[in-house]
Amino acid sequence: MMPIEIGAVLYVGAIGLVVIGIAGIVLSHHLFRIILALVIAEAGANLLLVLSGFRWDAIAPIITGGGATQTMVDPVPQAMVLTSIVIGVGVQALALSLTLRAYGAYKTLDIRELQRRMSADLAGEAGTPLPQSLEEPVGGRPLPAAEGDGR
Amino acid sequence: MNTIVLTVVLPLLAAFVVPVLCRVSPLLGRLLGPLTLAYAILLTLQVWLGMEGKPFSIALGGFQPPLGINFYVDRLSLLFTFLTLVTSLLLWPWRNETEPRQYALTLLLAASACGLALSGDLFNIYVFYELISVASFGLAAGAAFAASLRYLILSGLGSVLVLCGIAIVYLQTGTLNLAQLSQLAPETLNTPLGMSAFALILLGVGVKGELFPVNSWVPEVYAAASSRVSGLLAGLVSKLAVLVIVRLLVLLFQQESALQLMLILGLLGAISGELAAWRAKDMNRMLAFSSIGQLGVIFIAFSIPGETGLFAGLALSLHHLLVKPALFLLAERWRGSLMGLRGAGLASPVAGGMFVLLALSLVGMPPLPGFWAKFLLFTGLAAQQSVIYQVALGVVLLSIVIEANYLFRVVMNLFQPAGDNSVAVITDHGWLNLGTTFLLSALLIAGMLFMGPLGAWLEGVAIQAADPVLYFDTVFPVSAIH
Amino acid sequence: MTPLDELLLFSGLTLVLLLLLGRFSYAGKIATVFYAGQLLFLAKMADRIADGAIMTFSLQAELFGQQMSWRYDALSWFFAVITLGAGLLSSWYASGEWGERFRRRGGNLWLLHVALAANVFSMLILLGSGDLLALFIGWELVSWASFLLMTVAGGRAIQAAMRYITYAMSGAMAILAGIVLLWSHAGGLQYGQIIDVMPQLSQAQVWLLVALFGAGFAVKMGLLPFHLWQAAAYAETPGPGAAFFGAISARMGLYAIILVLVQLIGLARLSELTIPFTFLDMRDFWAWIAVLTIILPTYTALRQTDARYLLAWHGIGQGGYMLLGVVLGDALGSAGGLLHVFNYATNQAVLFFAVFAVMFRTGTADLNKLGGLITRMPISFFAMLVGIIGLAGLPPMNGFVSKWFVYRSLMVEGEPLLFLGAIIGTLGTILSVYKLIHNTFLGQLRVEHVEVREAPWSMVVPMIILMLLIFATGVAPGLVLDWVALVQSAVGLPVVENTLGGIELASGSLDMLWVVGVLFAGFGIGALLFYSGGRTRQVHQLDNYAGGHFLTAETRYHYSDNFYAGLMHLIRPWYRGSFVWLESTLGSLLGIAASLMQRLYGALHPSIYLLVTVVVTLTWVLL
Repeated sequence: MMPIEIGAVLYVGAIGLVVIGIAGIVLSHHLFRIILALVIAEAGANLLLVLSGFRWDAIAPIITGGGATQTMVDPVPQAMVLTSIVIGVGVQALALSLTLRAYGAYKTLDIRELQRRMSADLAGEAGTPLPQSLEEPVGGRPLPAAEGDGR
Repeated sequence: MNTIVLTVVLPLLAAFVVPVLCRVSPLLGRLLGPLTLAYAILLTLQVWLGMEGKPFSIALGGFQPPLGINFYVDRLSLLFTFLTLVTSLLLWPWRNETEPRQYALTLLLAASACGLALSGDLFNIYVFYELISVASFGLAAGAAFAASLRYLILSGLGSVLVLCGIAIVYLQTGTLNLAQLSQLAPETLNTPLGMSAFALILLGVGVKGELFPVNSWVPEVYAAASSRVSGLLAGLVSKLAVLVIVRLLVLLFQQESALQLMLILGLLGAISGELAAWRAKDMNRMLAFSSIGQLGVIFIAFSIPGETGLFAGLALSLHHLLVKPALFLLAERWRGSLMGLRGAGLASPVAGGMFVLLALSLVGMPPLPGFWAKFLLFTGLAAQQSVIYQVALGVVLLSIVIEANYLFRVVMNLFQPAGDNSVAVITDHGWLNLGTTFLLSALLIAGMLFMGPLGAWLEGVAIQAADPVLYFDTVFPVSAIH
Repeated sequence: MTPLDELLLFSGLTLVLLLLLGRFSYAGKIATVFYAGQLLFLAKMADRIADGAIMTFSLQAELFGQQMSWRYDALSWFFAVITLGAGLLSSWYASGEWGERFRRRGGNLWLLHVALAANVFSMLILLGSGDLLALFIGWELVSWASFLLMTVAGGRAIQAAMRYITYAMSGAMAILAGIVLLWSHAGGLQYGQIIDVMPQLSQAQVWLLVALFGAGFAVKMGLLPFHLWQAAAYAETPGPGAAFFGAISARMGLYAIILVLVQLIGLARLSELTIPFTFLDMRDFWAWIAVLTIILPTYTALRQTDARYLLAWHGIGQGGYMLLGVVLGDALGSAGGLLHVFNYATNQAVLFFAVFAVMFRTGTADLNKLGGLITRMPISFFAMLVGIIGLAGLPPMNGFVSKWFVYRSLMVEGEPLLFLGAIIGTLGTILSVYKLIHNTFLGQLRVEHVEVREAPWSMVVPMIILMLLIFATGVAPGLVLDWVALVQSAVGLPVVENTLGGIELASGSLDMLWVVGVLFAGFGIGALLFYSGGRTRQVHQLDNYAGGHFLTAETRYHYSDNFYAGLMHLIRPWYRGSFVWLESTLGSLLGIAASLMQRLYGALHPSIYLLVTVVVTLTWVLL
């Protein structure tokens, strides 16, 4: 009984982490938080992988001299997770370096602002500038006619 | 025969050696990459000739499958290995003398793409897929780091989904070896849970494959990145993603709803891509949206069950692989606003003529190869019973009309004499770009002239790839009791 | 080497030669000679085709399980002779001073010659299709070759060409859809296979096929409602190109309609299909489309002020007669329809030649800026006169015979409404061509045109040839009717029995030899009386007075603007521009969809789409 309930909780947790991560990516507009949300989602996926090979009455899949005779959990998903964690770390590092560069160029990490300025830059480079609204009206402000001018 | 593994190993080694070598001797550093790729191409051809058309399996490290990882070499994998190496060589970033980074990343891309094509283990495919991602992030970030941020986030999310999908597959079947999975799949994966695994993997891998709706990174990245990178991404990486999905469809997910899901997403991608391309105002973005549309059509082709689907999809993929990089290479000098291109075709008639040829083939004018690929698709779609395939037929036809309109709008602009208000047109394409485009166009025409034998050969590739029983029997030669 | 091999190879050789040598000034003359050569090769086949043989092309291709073959039967030969004749005369027209001036004014003469040769070559290929796949390949080649020819002039022609290619691609895709559906039913695309499988198809399936093929071919032919592209595209093409287009290009659609709808599907099957919610069947539907095509564009032609546009709109209308004749399906009607293809080609060509001759000398084709040129360009006037008599359908020209056949057939078949429609169309024809000749040649000569001379010989000789041809085939229509009879027997329509002068049936006969004889006898007597009376005196046009003033050359007394004011006052409210509205609505719908897609891809949070898709997919999958 117990293992099944714990198992259900763990599965819910893993999927929940993924959902939290996706929600974070979708709902945040701070770049760093989006990357953190990605990290959480990856953690959730890794947990799901480990769970897929887990057995409740087994020990860690490490041979400690003298031939183990107890059942072990499935080592294949654990190997997968190791690889996946490493890949994830690499990708996160790359993401952070890109974030630093983005901050250096645009001085903001708000993705709405980044998106707007980036598409304006791209369009400007491409020679198809996006229509911008002006800060001020064009031309000088018309002044009332001076006294001496004939009407 | 085992030398095929070197096509993965050698470029990988070279990728790490090149930056070091560049510090010692820039000339050697520049040449190492292309030489490695050329040697790998020779190896591939050697294996091809030695293979005599029969597939074989290599157990890496001597560990036998299903616990060990194996490389499965059939005509399809070999074809994609060959195409990867040749495309990387053709689109090699020659100009970056001071940046060995690009060389290393391209070599990494080539190595991991070969591995992806050859691998016979599900997680191994994932690892190579992530390697390709990292390499393409690096390549895309060269010029447009802000655009590649969105690409990275979407791709990361996609990887999460793929991992969840793999987890579900492992949960259901207990193995990661594709051959064993193909045997276990009909009982274990033909469930809603298996279908959800497919959906997750499809969407995850589809990020690279420009599948709707995860393709919003495409316009920005292609618009900002250099043309060679865009050519590599659009031409090569997207096809590899499609290859992964196709292998999984053939071996693991043989149910009809999987095909239908892919069909619907492909349909939406085709029509949205072409319509958005119609509104595009600059060349790279137009080509990006066109790429989305074409890949939607390729997904539709692969969603036809059986060897007809594989044949049509392969023909379309090959055609796109030839045409898109060529168009991107031409677009390198013709970047920027479409209105500013007035008279560019008159100034450089060779480039203009090639653009017209490529556009005609993309639209599908007979007797160019593009028409035959589309004809295979249409006959395949019409032969299906389900209504949704007929709808897809109509959508693809509509997308061709829209494509003809916007492509030839550009052609008309190219060949009109430049007015006073046009931006100064850069006429010099550079002999390298022009030469590569010329080579690709010549290949296209050669394909048209030898369409018969080429088609028969491609059909053989498709028939071999569509056979899961052959796959299993090759990897486990004695009818295995697993 | 069969004669067909020789013809197609020679035609391809012409194209290659012009690609290489087209820049030289004698290219036009070379081209003319080579077209004459092609015509000779075609004439070589004439005897064998007359015996009912079929010429095959030696190259048979097989790709992906589909066989492609090319062959010429009487139908192909008939259309091919018209194509080559039009090509020959157009090239002759362009080879002399017209070409020189075109090149000097900055036009791309090389492209014009190459495009013309490409059009002729691709049409010859299309006409030889031996199965549906070859038909589609030829169709696409012709479409793109026409596009090439349309783009030669630049400027306004580009927009017209873009409109054309959108219509043409839509039509081609509809044809492809039809072909692919047929393939899935018949298993192959050979004509024999399709004829065999036709009886097994359900009415709904045949309906769909007729709709798809019909729409596709109707676009090329310019039938309502797909006709909007044709006028601007043909009118803006420079001189000989426009003549070639007007003469034969749109008739490729008719060739395909005869091949697919009449030969493969069959008129009998067409009359079995019904249009839901109406009392019409498919055959009536096509007849009505034809009649509406006769009426509406012809009355649009009335309003045009540019002579080229007037002729181009006119050309759309005449296609309706051909389709009407063919769809009627009896011996006389189909003979009239097919004969009209030939007659119309000659008439339209000579009219375009005359208009472009005037444009060459005066610099304008605007009908409000011309007048009185009969004294300066008499041969062109005579050519135009012959052309409009033929087009209006009056003896002694050939147009009379084909139209008479169609009218007679309509009456005999008992179609009073269609007959009324055809008559209204003829009324519009007569009105619009009269406007053309009046505004151009009759009336008061303008001051700036006093120095105008007749067009150069290279332009006049083709006009004279065409005039003689029109007159000869008007007097002795049996010459062409022999070929029409062969076409009818090749296609499966009932054959008309003809004599040299026309037809002789139990229910009546037409003998043009007698008609023309009587007509000329009448003219002769009238001329005799006129000239022997001796009381005539030549008076200058301006030696007159009006309103108490003597006339001067500077004042304009020539009525040309708003020519049919009275008629327009009556029917102007009927010009609603519905088809243009329809076209622009479709365009806007697509534009809105495109903007939506663009905004979709420019959205801030693509992850939302990913999320929604994942949720929807998982729900669909798990439930």
